[in-house]
Amino acid sequence: MSIVNHFPVLAVVVLLLFAYLMPLLMRWRKEWCVPATLGAIGFSLIASLYMMWQVMTTGPFMYQMGSWAPPWGIEFSIDYLAVFATMTITIVGLIVIYYGTQDLLHELKEQVMGWYYTLYLLLMASMIGMVLTNDLFNMFVFVEICAIASCGIISIKESRECIEAAFKYLVLSAVGSGCLLLAIAMIYMVTGHLNFTYVAQALPQVMDLYPLNILVSLALFLVGLGVKAALFPLHVWLPDAHSSAPSPSSAVLSGLVIKVYAIAMIKLLYKVYPPELLGMAPIMNMILWMATLAIIIGSMFAIVQDDIKKMLAYSSIAQIGYVFLGVGLMSESALQGGILHIFNHAIMKSMLFLSAGAIIYATGTRKLSDLKGIGITLPVPTIAFSLGAFAMVGIPITNGFISKWYLALGSLDVGRPFFAAVILVSSLLNGIYYLPIVVNAFFGEPEGAVAEPRPLPRQMVVSLILLGSGVILFGVFPSLILGVVSKAAQSLLGLL
Amino acid sequence: MTMIDILLRLHQNSYYFFAIILFIIGFHTMLSHNNLIKKVIGMNIMDTSIFLFFVAIGYVNGGRAPILEPGVPYTAYVNPLPSALILTGIVVAVSVTAYALSLIVKLYKHYGTIDAEEIMRIRGGDIQ
Repeated sequence: MSIVNHFPVLAVVVLLLFAYLMPLLMRWRKEWCVPATLGAIGFSLIASLYMMWQVMTTGPFMYQMGSWAPPWGIEFSIDYLAVFATMTITIVGLIVIYYGTQDLLHELKEQVMGWYYTLYLLLMASMIGMVLTNDLFNMFVFVEICAIASCGIISIKESRECIEAAFKYLVLSAVGSGCLLLAIAMIYMVTGHLNFTYVAQALPQVMDLYPLNILVSLALFLVGLGVKAALFPLHVWLPDAHSSAPSPSSAVLSGLVIKVYAIAMIKLLYKVYPPELLGMAPIMNMILWMATLAIIIGSMFAIVQDDIKKMLAYSSIAQIGYVFLGVGLMSESALQGGILHIFNHAIMKSMLFLSAGAIIYATGTRKLSDLKGIGITLPVPTIAFSLGAFAMVGIPITNGFISKWYLALGSLDVGRPFFAAVILVSSLLNGIYYLPIVVNAFFGEPEGAVAEPRPLPRQMVVSLILLGSGVILFGVFPSLILGVVSKAAQSLLGLL
Repeated sequence: MTMIDILLRLHQNSYYFFAIILFIIGFHTMLSHNNLIKKVIGMNIMDTSIFLFFVAIGYVNGGRAPILEPGVPYTAYVNPLPSALILTGIVVAVSVTAYALSLIVKLYKHYGTIDAEEIMRIRGGDIQ
């Protein structure tokens, strides 16, 4: 009986514990807040790396809460996809909050800083819980914590845009949660189970008896998780929410939160619903077309924006389309591409939002047209931004290229070259809105606030350098991460 | 299927039927009203309908609370799990409502109105 056996649950519980300690620390030991937050997320990172090592050496395993066996107790399933996702969440989350310790000081009032760490830790805990859990209702609870915490880290900056964006987000995600709970009710009605494994065993037996219930539940899951993941026609809340929030919040919302719902969808589609069901209704085709529209229309909206963070927010809508494209194509390389894009996009989008935040911190301007010559006066954030932009376009040696490559290969594998063309067109569209910014930044003449920026604190520079080197590292050596990604894709498709 | 059949079936599944009607009322209130407070009320009606639906799943006709008493012969028991789950659901709905209402208070402070269209108009005004 050692502590490492309980790492799956500790990765969540330690974060929850520190979340509730934070307001107390804020009152009595202000200077401990930052190290405690970093320490808690660092512990989760160690736990998830240890779980990853365990899964890669001995294979997936289950963790039972309080040793209660599955039909009664709640289970955590530690498989390839889950360890991959926890690792992504903890690494990016740690870097973003390290950056945030400086950036937040100028965006938030001092007395709410402790609450920000509370909300941030709750958000991390709920995301890790959501990817690890093997129980439908447990997933619903984590989804709700995640929804409230992510609205919280937007509305904590009490400007009117933030409050309004947070309200819109809250109402729409409440609709999504309602749909999720109804879907869970439908499933429970026909199977009598909430555990993923048991539901998956029971569904093929009851499919002939109650086909409508099961189809309706699938549709409700798609809508509920689609609203939260900002899948195309359901994305209306995202641009305001992600662009008005404080920069670290935007980074973690765009980089991680919307991806976690995509992972929940992957788990439901591939692990719970029987493959025969997908023949009954064109669910996968619907996902594919929604993803295609998201990719094209998200990029088109991004082209016309003049606000740097709004442009990045619209670009997120396009990028979540890639993930769902990989989910919908049902081929091994496409699924690999989709899952890999979760990791790659988490790194590059959080880097883009953080460098945009650093530019706003140093110059006070958010307008793209004011950023001429910023590359000369603020080299680090601008180089990071350019790297992120190249990765978004998918230029080789950046990690964005690898995931797009796998997605394109996957669409050719299943004989649907149309989707490879979609990826190509969207890369060109990405080029249209990212590259002029890079060109302007390095070859323009700096004027106004851009000519004399505030110096950046060390924390911001270090986090940008870490994320930037991640983009290059996983672009040049994709095999570092591809091992676990391909195992995850194979086990989801039942090839292992 | 004749009209009688349909009515009979609706009667047999009346819990589900009314839950879905409530869901639609709540959803409609949420989407069609501009008043933010009414939106939150619609959200609550929608949540309540789902709770009703979930609890109705566990109900057994003529069932009792699942407590074993010595000397009382075995009868049918209702499934306690949905009720237990819905307790969690209610807590979540209450906290979302409280948070939404506090956001509305803040919005009222900033804009002086709780009408969604009015807020859009004021916002549109200061962008140009």
